[in-house]
Parts: sequence; C-alpha cells; structure tokens
Amino acid sequence: MKVRTGWSALLVTALTLAGCGSASGPGATNSGGSADRLVVWDWKSGEPSAKAYVEKAKADFARKHPDVTVEFVAQPFDQYYTLLGAAIQSGKGPDVMLFNGGGQIRDRVDALVPLDGYLAEDRGRLAGWDAFSKDGKTYAGPVTLQGHPIYYNKALYRKAGLDPAAPPGSWDEFLADCNAVTKAGADCIALGNKEGAGIQFWLSALGSATLTAQEYDDWIAGKRDWRSPHVRQIFDLWKQAGDKGLNSDGANSTAMFNDSFAHFQSGKAAHVIGLMSDVGHWKDFNEFLTPGELGVMAAPTVTTGVTPSMPFDGGIGYGVAKATKNPQVAADLVRSLTSTDALKAFFTEAGAIAADTTIDVSDGGPAVATIVAGIKTGKPALHVALSSKTLDLMGRLSQQLLSGSITVDQVVQQLAASDKTA
Amino acid sequence: MRTGSAQPPVRAAAAPRTGPVPHEPVAPRRVPGSWAERLAPFVLIAPTALVILALRLYPLLLGVNFSFTGDGERNGTAVGLDNYRELIGDPLFRTALSNVGLLVALLPIAVAIPGLLATFIYLRVPGHRLYRSVYFFPAVLSPVIIGAIFNLLLAFDGPLNAVLGGLGISPVDWLGDPDIAIFAVVGVHVWATFGMALVVFLAGFATLDPALLDAARVDGASLPRVIWHVIIPSLARTIQFVFVTTMIGMLTSMFGLLFVMTSGGPEGSTYLPEYYIWTQQGQMNRPALASAASTVLFVIMLVVGLLQVTLLQRAGKDD
Repeated sequence: MKVRTGWSALLVTALTLAGCGSASGPGATNSGGSADRLVVWDWKSGEPSAKAYVEKAKADFARKHPDVTVEFVAQPFDQYYTLLGAAIQSGKGPDVMLFNGGGQIRDRVDALVPLDGYLAEDRGRLAGWDAFSKDGKTYAGPVTLQGHPIYYNKALYRKAGLDPAAPPGSWDEFLADCNAVTKAGADCIALGNKEGAGIQFWLSALGSATLTAQEYDDWIAGKRDWRSPHVRQIFDLWKQAGDKGLNSDGANSTAMFNDSFAHFQSGKAAHVIGLMSDVGHWKDFNEFLTPGELGVMAAPTVTTGVTPSMPFDGGIGYGVAKATKNPQVAADLVRSLTSTDALKAFFTEAGAIAADTTIDVSDGGPAVATIVAGIKTGKPALHVALSSKTLDLMGRLSQQLLSGSITVDQVVQQLAASDKTA
Repeated sequence: MRTGSAQPPVRAAAAPRTGPVPHEPVAPRRVPGSWAERLAPFVLIAPTALVILALRLYPLLLGVNFSFTGDGERNGTAVGLDNYRELIGDPLFRTALSNVGLLVALLPIAVAIPGLLATFIYLRVPGHRLYRSVYFFPAVLSPVIIGAIFNLLLAFDGPLNAVLGGLGISPVDWLGDPDIAIFAVVGVHVWATFGMALVVFLAGFATLDPALLDAARVDGASLPRVIWHVIIPSLARTIQFVFVTTMIGMLTSMFGLLFVMTSGGPEGSTYLPEYYIWTQQGQMNRPALASAASTVLFVIMLVVGLLQVTLLQRAGKDD
C-alpha cells in the first residue's frame, strides 16, 4: 500500500509539473536553444531538394562558430505557424526560424530581433528585404524571392494559331487570344481558388498592369485607395474572367496547390499565374512542358500608359527570436543561411529563385531567364502588403464573386473596411 | 494549447457516461480503523482527480482567462469582453455556429441510416454477412484519407460528375458551391462514421427478444410496422446512446475532413467553431480571440453534455 501510494504521489507530482510547465504565460523567455546550441525551425530542411542548401549553410556557420551546434527541426508547413505561435507564446520557441514574407512575419515581429545591424553587409547582395520589414526595421534575411509570373504554354498557343513568341500585350488582345485557345479545346487560365489564394495571385499579377505607378507605390507604402477605379477594375476583371468562362471549371473547389498547377502542366490550360520558387514554378513546369515550351509573359496592359512589372518579394527568410541567448551568433547563422554558396545550392536543387542576385541562372531555360530579368525592374507584390486577415476575407469574397453572390462594389467596400482596421 | 482547450470540456462532460466516480457511502461514525485505511479512497482517487485538475481544468481556466486579454499589440492586457464582441460581429463565426445548428438538425438522418442498415442486417437480408464487414470498413480509415478520396470523387471533373453527365445531369460543384458543400462534408462524415453506430445498433439487436418479432410476423405485420412498433421501442436506449455519441462525433471530430475537403470554404460556408479556432490561432495569429471562441464552444459542449447526462439518466429510470 505504502509503495503504491508513493508511486502515485510521484506520478501525480510529475504530471502536475508537466502541466505547469506547458502552461507558462506570455512573457516567458526561455527559448529552445542554449548558449552553445541553436534550434532552427523551418518546413524546408526535411526536403531532399534542400539538403545541399542546409549542408552548405551549416558548413559555413561551423567555420565561424565551431563550438556552437545547430539543430534543424523541420515542421509540417500546414501546421507551421500554429506550432510556432504556440511555441513562442509558451516561451519554448526556436532561436532561428523560417518565415514567409509579408503578413506572416509582420504579425509576429514583437517576438523577433531587428536584424539591420547584423545583416548590413548583405544588404546589397540580397534582394527582397521589404517583405521582411516593418516600420523601417528588418526582421529576417531573405533566402528566396517569391513572385507571380504569368506562365504560358507555347504548344497550346501554336495549336490555337497564335504566335508563341508574341504573347498578348493588352487586356483586349489577351481576351482575343483566350477565345482562340478556348476554341482549340483548352482552358485559357488554370485557376484554383479553393484556398482563396487565386485572387491574391490575380491581384498581384495584374496590379502593375492596372494601377498607375503612383497608385502602386502608395499601395505598397500603406496608403491604399480602395475607392480608386483602377483597384475596383482588378476585381472586376476577376469577375469577368469567371463570367466569360476563361477559368478552368470548378475554380472554387480546385486547390491551387497543386491541382490548378497540374492542370496547366498537363497542357489543359494555356496560362497560369504561378510562383517563382517552391512549387508551381518554372522548374516544375519545365519538367512536364519542357523548357522550350514554357513561356513567361508580362501582364497584359489594362490601363493604357502603364508599364507592367514583375511582382515579387522576399519569399522565405530566416528571423531571430527575441528570446535567444546570443542574438549575434543567431544572426551569424542567418548570414550563413543566406550565403551565396548555400543559396546557389538551393537554386540548383530546388529551382528556387534565390534572393542572391549574383547567382548565374543561364542554364535553367528561357522562362527562368525572363523571370530573373524581370526582377531588376520588379516591384513588391500588392497582396503581400495586406494583412492575413484582409487576405482571408479577400479569399472568401473572391469565391463569392465567382459564384455571383456579391457585387464588385461590395467586395471593394468590405476589403477597404478590413484593410483599415488591420 | 489554446486550440486544445476545446477538447477537455467534452471529455469532462462525457465522464459520467464512461466512468462513474466511485462514491463510497461513508458512515459518519465508524470503528476507528488505521489512517491508511481511511486515506485509501482519497489516495486512490487522487491521481485521476489531480490529472483532471492539473491537465484539464487548470488549462481550461487559463484559456478562459486568456480570452479576456488582447492580441498583437494588446498582448497580455485585459480587454474585457472585446474578443466576445468581435466574435459576435464576425459573420464567419456566426456561420460556424449556424453550421453547428445545422449539424444538430441533420442528426436524425445520421442516426437513421446506421439504424436502418442494422435492421436489414438483423433481418438477414441476402448477403448480410458481407455487408456487416463492408459497412464497418470506413470507420477504420483516417479522416484525412477519407477526405482525400472524396476530394477526388467529388471534384468538378471527378468521377461522380462524370456519372451524372452520363445520365444527362449537368455537373454539380459539390465542394465549390456554398449551398451544397456543407451537406457534402456532412454526408462524407456520416459515411465515414456510421460503421461504429451500426455496431452499437447490432449489439442492441442482440438484446432484442426474437419472440416479439415472431409474434409480429404471425400477426402479419409489414416490415415498416415491425420497425415502428417492435424494433424502435425495444431499442430506445440504444437509439438514445447513438444519438448522443453521433452528436459528439459531429461536433468534435469533423476538423480533419473539413481541413482536407474544403478548408472552411467555399465562401466560408463550411466553417465550424473548431476550424475557426484553428484559423484564428494559427493563421491569423489571434490566440486570445481563438480562446474566446474556444470558450464559446466549451459552453455549447457543456450544454450538450448536460442534456446528454439528463437524457441518459431519464433512459435509466425507464428500466
């Protein structure tokens, strides 16, 4: 009896302690790593295509800090921000962590160290800083660039009697070409809007062809005029594309990742607004359509007189947690993770457009060459400037636009209201 | 943790059903025994009680407390009922709640299907042995796999629409039409889980007195009449039990299916409170708002749980 009581008391104590530990409130500061150990969270390091990248970065860091061990923890991307949020909240977060640029990192800057002082030397070599900045401070070193080129299938262009070397320059030409493509038995646009991400790509891809340069820059700077007729027009074109049957069928129930991309790369649709890095990008499409048949076009001009540009931002980047023991060492790890050698490996293996603009991409085919050429004149993507709350709302409203249960004016009005409070 | 706080109340409320707490009648003045003997019951209960207290009730209270604080810049500061006000004002949360209502309304169908199929098996329709195992098969699949399978089947260019097309019916966007999607998901959920209820029904049938059925047959009763006048009254307790467990299943375990099949869409029409909590906590970085939503879900589950206890108690009195 006594022995048993002892055991249960021990068990109870252990369980109680475990319970207390996990329930520490906000403001706790013990982080995952210690002074000689850094814990890195990401959703990339587990992938085979990122192996060489991680190894190169680790080797670079080991040269600078041989006494510090680095542990990579690959989390599932679906759960990443849920897990990270909970870990930060309970003070058990990692020292260095991967972020998507834009809202995901901006929403969490209160848990991050401003890195401007640590990464000053990389400023010129790397592109895409804006997506990791808030109020003039930088919170992560960019690894890849993410953007939204409009890809097209040259074989389908030929089949429809169009010149694959001369993609449409204006919206009217685009509509005419779509007509020809549809007659040839293919969809004009492969669209997957189940997650509500289709509208984000649409907004960013067509933004520079619709908004004036001034409106565009104001939008990025946070002075967004939702009453502008040009802003309204982007959503109107979205609705038109749906109403005119340009999109692949069942867009609202088609997952963008990766059903709509599969639709494009299997030659069933002539265009898709894709990505530069990760998935749904030139390397994926090259594999199926061959590099010779994959084209990248500038957005067809909607407003006369504007010059379309490539929408891109920092895609993913590593930030440093405020709770880390030694921010200098952690920042050095970020520098290693964004070193030219490591990023070159990432480009070669995963096809990601690296943030390092000095990397040579000439052997990747014409599509990637067009993309990289577009980066020089490119601008931040419009949707990345919006908060995750507004993006979530925009996703749902875009589905309503496609199903016809809301008007364009109502959409713009609701988005304006959401953007104001965000 | 915040997301998880939706779970404990369910289990806590369900506890009286599965494990009655030993309630020893203690005589006020007993012959004084040893201390160990008097303490024994408390020591024996202690692990369970403390685990519930430390790992369920305490986090639950923390969560409720957390729901009265702010997010982002107001992190950690008390904001009163702001989060709850925001919830009431959020059309998405209202959709989630009304979907809960819809689930409750669909409950009779979800119970009738396994009940009817179990009846057929009990009445030994041809091939009943095969059906018994086939019906149970989906219950062993994970919701993610079921969701993925039905994503393919219900896709706009999927096999189901191809079959409909062959019959001359225009294709239906099962998961893309906001008026249909929730029914599609509930339908799949029922398909995936009715096997368990079927087994419970079959167990119930095992206690049914065959003499009653024989008597009804001798009297020349038709099948619907046999079901209505003999089977349903005899299985009243089983039906009640299935009602309660199916309801809990619908309210607490549709997350996986929703996540895979619709992600709350289209147009937010398939949101359920659980999914809302997950989105606010993980995607929108609003843990405090998510806590408030968890608290609301907890209250709903508490009401459901209490109703369930009352129902089972009343059923017990009938015996």
